[in-house]
This record gives sequence, C-alpha cells and structure tokens, in this order.
Amino acid sequence: MILTGKIVARIVAICMLGVLLQLSFFSRVELFHVSPDILPALVVCLGLLGGSMTGAVSGFGIGFFLDCLLVEALGISSLVLLGTGYLAGLFRERFEIHSSLVPALLCMGLTLLAELGYGVIQLLFGIDAPLSTLIIRDLLLKSVYAFFLGWPIYLIVRRTLRPALVEEPKLQRRRQPTVLGA
Amino acid sequence: MYRKQVRRRRAVLALLIVGSFVLLTITYGQGSNGLQRGVSTIFSPVQSVSDRALKPARDLVDWFDKTFDARGENGRLKSELVTARTQAVAGQEALQENRQLRKLLELDRGPALASSPYEPVIGRVTARSPTVWHASVSIDIGSSDGVHADDPVISGDGVVGRIASVEGGSSQVMLLTDHESAISAKVLPAGVQGVVKPEVGNPEDLILDFIDSTKRVHGGLTVVTAGWRAQGLASLFPPGLPLGEVTKASIVEQEAKEQVQVRPYADLRNLDLVQVLTGGSRG
Repeated sequence: MILTGKIVARIVAICMLGVLLQLSFFSRVELFHVSPDILPALVVCLGLLGGSMTGAVSGFGIGFFLDCLLVEALGISSLVLLGTGYLAGLFRERFEIHSSLVPALLCMGLTLLAELGYGVIQLLFGIDAPLSTLIIRDLLLKSVYAFFLGWPIYLIVRRTLRPALVEEPKLQRRRQPTVLGA
Repeated sequence: MYRKQVRRRRAVLALLIVGSFVLLTITYGQGSNGLQRGVSTIFSPVQSVSDRALKPARDLVDWFDKTFDARGENGRLKSELVTARTQAVAGQEALQENRQLRKLLELDRGPALASSPYEPVIGRVTARSPTVWHASVSIDIGSSDGVHADDPVISGDGVVGRIASVEGGSSQVMLLTDHESAISAKVLPAGVQGVVKPEVGNPEDLILDFIDSTKRVHGGLTVVTAGWRAQGLASLFPPGLPLGEVTKASIVEQEAKEQVQVRPYADLRNLDLVQVLTGGSRG
C-alpha cells in the first residue's frame, strides 16, 4: 500500500466511522442474544490490504479511540487489536490470497483470537464474579458474525483504499483493440 | 535497505506494544482522565445523532431477532398458558402477589422513591460496550444534568446499575451484569439478605450470594435492594427497588454455596430510556 496524506486520512475516517458504528449500532443489536463485534474484522481487513504495520497501527488507534469513548482503562483494546492487525498483515505478507473466502475466514479466526485475548487480559487483571459457560457460546457466535460481516467490510475498505493498493486482486478486463479493415 | 526497513517496523511494533502497556498501567482502575473526557465530550453529540439515525436499522434487526425467539417460544408459551389458566381459577394468592409486584414496579410513585431525597433524571442510551467482559452503556445525560458518579440507575422494570463515570453531557452506566457490580439485596417477603452479583457472560442470570443458609428461599420470590445504613455509611441504592426474581433455589445450592439464582427484572440487553436517581445520600 502506498501511504499518502489522503490515504492516511481515509484510513483514520474508516477507523472512526467503524468505532462509532460499533457503539451506536452493532453493540446495540442482538441476534441469538449476542451482539456482533466488527472492530477486529475491520482491523483484519486493514491489515490484509495494508500490511502488518498498517494493521498494527490502525488496530492500536481503533482500540485507543474505543477505550476513550467508553471511558474504560486505556490500552487493553489497543493491545488486543494491534496484535490482531499485525497478524492479519503478516498473513498477507507471507501468503498469497488465492480464495475470496480467505478474508472472511481470517476475520472469523482472528476475531475469536481477539475476543480470547481480551478475555485473558481481563482474567489477568482479576474478575470479581464467577464465569458462565455461556461466554463460550458468545465468543463463538461473535466469530461467526465476523465471518459474515468480514466480507462486506473487506469490500468496502478495499474500495475506499483502492488508489493506494499496489496490486488489484482482480484484473480489469481489457477491451480488445479494434482491428481496422477486418 | 530491506534490513533497515525490517528493523524500523520492529521498532514501531515494539513502541506500540510498550505504549499499550504504559497506557494500561497508568489508567487501569483510575476512572476517566482528561483525554477520555475530552474525546467523550467531542464525540458525544456525534454518538447521539448516530444513535437516533440508526434506530430504524436497529429496530429492523431486533424484529428479526424477536421473530426467531417468538417461534421458539410459541410452544413453550402454549403449555405455560394451560398452567396459567389452572392457576388463575384458584388465583387469589397469585393476584395478591401480582398487586405487590405492580406496586414495586411503579417506582416513581412507590414508597421506595417517594420518601427518599432522590430526584430522577431521564436519559437515553447512546452506546454499549461491545465486549462480553464489560457490561456498560453510555447515556446522554451527565454532570450538567446533575448526575454524579455512583448514582443509581433504573428502568421502568427495576434496577439497571449505577453511574461509573460522568462527563459534561454523558455518563457511563455500569450494568448489574458487569463483573465489578455488587448490590446488597433482600428477598421478599422472607427478608433473607445477601449480595447480588453477576455471572460473567450470562446476562440472563444474577447470583444472590452470602445468604443465610438456615432460611429457605424458593423460586418466584421478589428480590429488592436492601438499602442498608450503619455507622455513617449507607448503600448507594435506596431500599425497596425491585432487582429481580428468584429463578433457581435448590436446597443443596443454598446449603453448600449459600446462593440462589436471580433473573433481573430490567431487560438489560434492550435498554433505551433509563432514569438516574440523582441527589441521594452518599454516606
């Protein structure tokens, strides 16, 4: 990805819009009693398109903005999401993305990892109440939602950052030249 | 050139990780800081606008969710209806209980609040924490509306939680299901006292802990706030606010763990309008 001032501004706008959408919409709707979490999927998409550094920095920024708006301890979301973005970027740098299912599957896997990571950090800081086994259902459903939401998020982010992408996965169909006199 | 690039990337990554730990160390358990207050104040109007703009879309998703739920509940409700009809014939006792519950639910006019110094302020929920570990919501009223930290928050159904932090025009509400929440409560009419705590990850159930195992509690009893006052200290919640209903109270669990399960009256996952009880005593 070629990072210019305009592209950085677009990435910042995507991140802020994602956090606001998460807090005002996705966190407040429930399907099967679980709210979707699009932020890990958004960070994964940015990592897949921009590489490990873009993924890590945008993950850190999204986590920081989220914690600021929720007035929670700064750093937990940043740490989890920077790891998520870095891993997604690392995948893009190490492997070729052949299938269109890869972004959605990565969103699913890394969302589960991010939620587990968040849980581990919370447990390290101490949980004053007993844990319910329903938490496993919540984590799994969140990652399933990330699979279905990851693909549209990936398409939207790719379309927004298209001018900065070095290579397009899908080549544009070229018009055949007209042969005069044929 | 490549090595230099790799070294620079590693340095940025290390900086971000160290930055996260530094932020965590500085801010964990410290409440809100100036930066968070600033960001929250700037984006509070934006959140409020986006909350209202996205309400139709939320309602649509809720409709789908409720339709799925309703299909599953149909069969169960039919069998419950048969039981309820039988009970209704000989239901003088149930009617009396119903009247008591209705009295408890009329919170503003009820004795719990009428004789207390609390002044209710209505707020609208604008955001909700996305993780299953923190159960908190943001509301669009803050210190400018007279809201203070630790003020009790209720909905029309019962206790919702308490104010965790306050900004100028917004506040964070720590819900009953947050792992840091604990409220002294008593079971009516038995009078058994205990502490209501959440079970993390399970928003349907609360636990009434530390109860007297010699007194029996059974399902269906009402749990209200205890509202104790002793030696200059007082509970944050006024007494008699409805919290929930005892759902599971096996004798084994009561004797071994001294706890029973409680289902909160307030629908904590679909909060829209809440009341903050401002101006109460904070002993």
